[in-house]
Amino acid sequence: MTAEQGWSATSPWRAGRAVPVGLRLGLVLGAVSLVGLLAFGWPLLIAPGSVLASATTAPLVLGVVLAAALVVTLVAVSDGGLDVRAVAMLGLLSAVGALVRPIGSGTGGVETVFVLLVLGGRVFGAGFGFLLGVTTMVASALLTGGVGPWLPYQMLAAGWVGLGAGLLPERIGARRLHGVAELVLLAAYGAIASVLFGVVMNLSFWPFLAGTGTAISFVAGAPVVENLGRFLAYSVVTSLPWDLLRALTTVVGIGLFGHAVLVTLRRAARRAVFIEQ
Amino acid sequence: MIEIENLSVGYDAPVLDRLSATIDEGELCLVIGPTGSGKSTLLGAISARVPHLTGGRVAGRVRIDGRDTRQHRPRDLADLVGVVGQDPAATFTTDVVEDELAFTMEQLGVPEPLMRRRLEDVLDLLDLAELRRRPLATLSGGQAQRVAIGAVLTAQPRVLVLDEPTSALDPAAAEDVLAALARLVHDAGVTVVLAEHRLERVVGFADRVISLTPTPDGATAAVGAPAEVLARAAVAPPVTRLGRLAGWEPLPLTVRDARRAAGDLRTRLGSAVVPRTPAPGEELLRADRLRVTYGSVVAVRDVDLSVPAGQILALTGRNGAGKSSLLWALAGALPPTAGRVRAGGRVALVPQSPEDLLFRLTVVAECAAADPPGESGATRTLLDELAPGVPGEVNPRDLSEGQRLALALAVQLAPGATVLLLDEPTRGLDYGAKARLAEVLIGLRDAGHAVVVASHDVEFLAQVAGRIVQLADGQVVTDGPARTVLTDSALTAPQVARVLAPVPLLSVAEVAAALAGR
Amino acid sequence: MTTLAAEHNDSLRSTGHPLAWWAWAAGCAVAASRVGNPVVLVLLLLAVVLVALARRPAGPWHRALEAGLLLGAVVVLVRTGFYLLLGLPDSSPVLVTLPTIELPAWFSNVSLLGEVHVAGLVQAAVAGLALAVLIVTVGAVNAVASPRRALRSLPASLHHLGSAAVIAVSAAPQLLTAARRVRRAQRLRGQPARGLRGLAATLIPVLAGALDQALDLAASMDSRGYARAQRGGSRLVGAALVIALLAAAAGGYGLLAATGATTLSAVLLAGGVLLAVGASVLASRSVRRTRYRAEPWGWPETVITTCGVLAAATAWVGVILDPAGLGPWRLSTGWPGLPLLALGILAAAAVPAFLPDREGR
Repeated sequence: MTAEQGWSATSPWRAGRAVPVGLRLGLVLGAVSLVGLLAFGWPLLIAPGSVLASATTAPLVLGVVLAAALVVTLVAVSDGGLDVRAVAMLGLLSAVGALVRPIGSGTGGVETVFVLLVLGGRVFGAGFGFLLGVTTMVASALLTGGVGPWLPYQMLAAGWVGLGAGLLPERIGARRLHGVAELVLLAAYGAIASVLFGVVMNLSFWPFLAGTGTAISFVAGAPVVENLGRFLAYSVVTSLPWDLLRALTTVVGIGLFGHAVLVTLRRAARRAVFIEQ
Repeated sequence: MIEIENLSVGYDAPVLDRLSATIDEGELCLVIGPTGSGKSTLLGAISARVPHLTGGRVAGRVRIDGRDTRQHRPRDLADLVGVVGQDPAATFTTDVVEDELAFTMEQLGVPEPLMRRRLEDVLDLLDLAELRRRPLATLSGGQAQRVAIGAVLTAQPRVLVLDEPTSALDPAAAEDVLAALARLVHDAGVTVVLAEHRLERVVGFADRVISLTPTPDGATAAVGAPAEVLARAAVAPPVTRLGRLAGWEPLPLTVRDARRAAGDLRTRLGSAVVPRTPAPGEELLRADRLRVTYGSVVAVRDVDLSVPAGQILALTGRNGAGKSSLLWALAGALPPTAGRVRAGGRVALVPQSPEDLLFRLTVVAECAAADPPGESGATRTLLDELAPGVPGEVNPRDLSEGQRLALALAVQLAPGATVLLLDEPTRGLDYGAKARLAEVLIGLRDAGHAVVVASHDVEFLAQVAGRIVQLADGQVVTDGPARTVLTDSALTAPQVARVLAPVPLLSVAEVAAALAGR
Repeated sequence: MTTLAAEHNDSLRSTGHPLAWWAWAAGCAVAASRVGNPVVLVLLLLAVVLVALARRPAGPWHRALEAGLLLGAVVVLVRTGFYLLLGLPDSSPVLVTLPTIELPAWFSNVSLLGEVHVAGLVQAAVAGLALAVLIVTVGAVNAVASPRRALRSLPASLHHLGSAAVIAVSAAPQLLTAARRVRRAQRLRGQPARGLRGLAATLIPVLAGALDQALDLAASMDSRGYARAQRGGSRLVGAALVIALLAAAAGGYGLLAATGATTLSAVLLAGGVLLAVGASVLASRSVRRTRYRAEPWGWPETVITTCGVLAAATAWVGVILDPAGLGPWRLSTGWPGLPLLALGILAAAAVPAFLPDREGR
């Protein structure tokens, strides 16, 4: 057998996605997002006579429902079979994420972890991005002892951030996005994602923290618009400055490190044969 | 046991070219070749990682005990082939020794009672019983590597594939690991395929050698008994090269064989003129009563040291003797607890893992960042002197170990350092890269730099060192000319010195020069 | 290094199966969110702290209790702070009158500070206390049963993600060491070690090292038979999981709707759980894997779990039976007493403090 025949006898190895999102995973992610919308948006949806009308029980009960839904999602991901390289990559990237998270929160709301989630989702795709958000929050909670009722909410919200980054377009029109244009897109997405992350996290625990007897407290069953107004007032008082600062630092972070991190991640993705050479 | 037929592997460029070999049950097969000759690819093909995990084009066939790697993924061979890599810490999946040892068995679905029995057996075989509940992060390098070997042995594989298992270890730990391997081959009849840079340690145990020689169409292989392959191989341990030089037949593989053949050579060299090292110049670096402590641990204990220009000083001593702490303190990067360091010029240190110094994405960017003000291109010029032909647009992490070390050296030397400190620079370097490093260091010495090298590698020190300072427990125990110190001890001397003692020659090159000069 | 050594000793003793402790914590949390009597809440807080102090092993998790207490105090302060700042007037006497700050009307017609009413203030503090008990319970369970040990008890159907979490937790200390090493090396080059540049100089090599390590690790896991026996996912499992999720969504929506839908949503949620558990068992079967020294479940675990269930059930039923003594408490009803049923809740919460540790693993 000559070498030439040999080369053609075995076809070249095909590159694959880290976590392919097929019909099944797509449906599962859609369904868990639906549960998530309820869990996050309950103060705006709740009817006056509901069993959950008490401000403290609702986030807990919905937190349990959400946690169960997340477990179901992860079972579905596992059952589909996950590439061993994706598992190892998830493990190490979430370790990096869990380590940079405290660095960030110490220096004025810099959410370094968002930079990693957005760029990781971009390079490894939507499915991986979702899982990266979820495992990063789990790893961070396990490492800092922060396992509590807020964890399912953080997991899903961070998962959305990674998922969204993976769904950003590869090209606009006929132009393939790369270089500065790509960074601008990612930074814009990062800014929006940071603010939304803060707002939805705030929303679900709003009645929990603000109580019921104040002017910015939620009123169960009041019209959505009225509650939304109170919520906005609450957000402005409490977290919006932080969210905006986080958005700003995410933009700065992506601007400063984005290129280097993207190149580093893409090199790994190429070596793992997740993307074409 | 292992049949390789016409194996060709290529990624962007061809790596292996129509390689055929058969390795029988219970053999220890050594895979040798310079860096980049495809040793790892060959081992990967045997463990089915090539192409299942790495991609690339593969032709030909590899069968392990009848299982074809084209149809079997690495996990399908887990009960048959155990794989151990260079850096054990990078392959741990759990955090306690016992759990790590059990991991493979858990994946294979071994029932718990059997799992416990096998685990106890492996703990005894590799002498790990004391460590069973230790967190993996607290293990020393040698212990970690034995755990990594144990972790694959619990699955009772019949083939063990090891890719440079000792390259990150100090000599004592490396001996530990190699002794464990020899026991496995002799007592358990495991077939072992081993790639290793420091041949002098292992070639004595080998039953078969596969020597890879790179060519533009991929590496070709010579397969056969050790003495026969090493006679022609590009890389060989010093005793074998000495044998080639002296024309001994059969070619010696161990110091013992060589010593018995060397009687005649010793008399011929009896009156050899020992090459002189140039006289050192003025003092460039001085430490007075230097002391470094971490908490209650004293790492460096009242060390006085004077380093003159034009000298290569070697720091030796076992792990934890304080070599690294002394280097960092000399570089001014570690504030001493007591004493002081005076330097006549900039002091540059290249740490144990040179990649820590580099964080930019290309070699070009890294060089540009290191250029001193007003001298753009200086680093690149220096790099080309140290290692010609390093590609510019490549990520420093994708360079070979030798090229990366050269880049780190260039980056550190460019701002005009007069004193150069290196911590374990020969880790992971092959014979060729070590020889080039030796030339570079000697060049720097002759240009009037002071060089301090902390290293375990006596064969390398024999080529470069002018003076040796041995540390133990943070104190200087020996300080003297390299030739005297290196020939003092029959156990730690370089191979050539052990073969030729009492003739004080240290390396094959010196012997060649002495023979030619007569 | 000291924490690692402590953890080493810790691995010889076990406080029990982590799931049992989480069941206990969930029970206490339910009780805390149900009970409105501040005296009972304070005693419940003490019971939880007692359990944590008695049972927490030495180790890096040790301080989770203190963190919980601190966070709890912050929540009480935040709650009362919000009331002071934005509280609405009620009929109770005015405690103190602070200067009022009117916000511009275009923003919202809210005024800051102003009159502080006694009832509102106490109400806010008590509600904050309930939350604080909840948070301290979470801290306590983190201190007693490290959630990292729970990773060992995950079902096989969560194999992959569980492995990723284990890898993350094991790799983090290594990466931290790597980061320190890199920072030290960067200083040799005279790079600024602080600020964003310094962060990049540390982050990029650590990230690149971690990614290279991931590939080595993946190859090693594969060669060690990771996920070897797993076949591709089954359609049945996939469909069941999607339906379970949709049932959870519908059930959750039902809970938020007016009272009438409660039964239906409970049925939907329970059905979803059953479906998900069934699918998970089916999925577990496709992963042939055994466990070395799985965490055992003995009588102490049963007692701990029962205590949690009892605390929750007593609180739930107690509020219905004795709404005045255990239910929401108002300042106007006078000083709160300590009803008999409350003793049941407290006893159930405190009993795990007196159970023995298990020797060995």
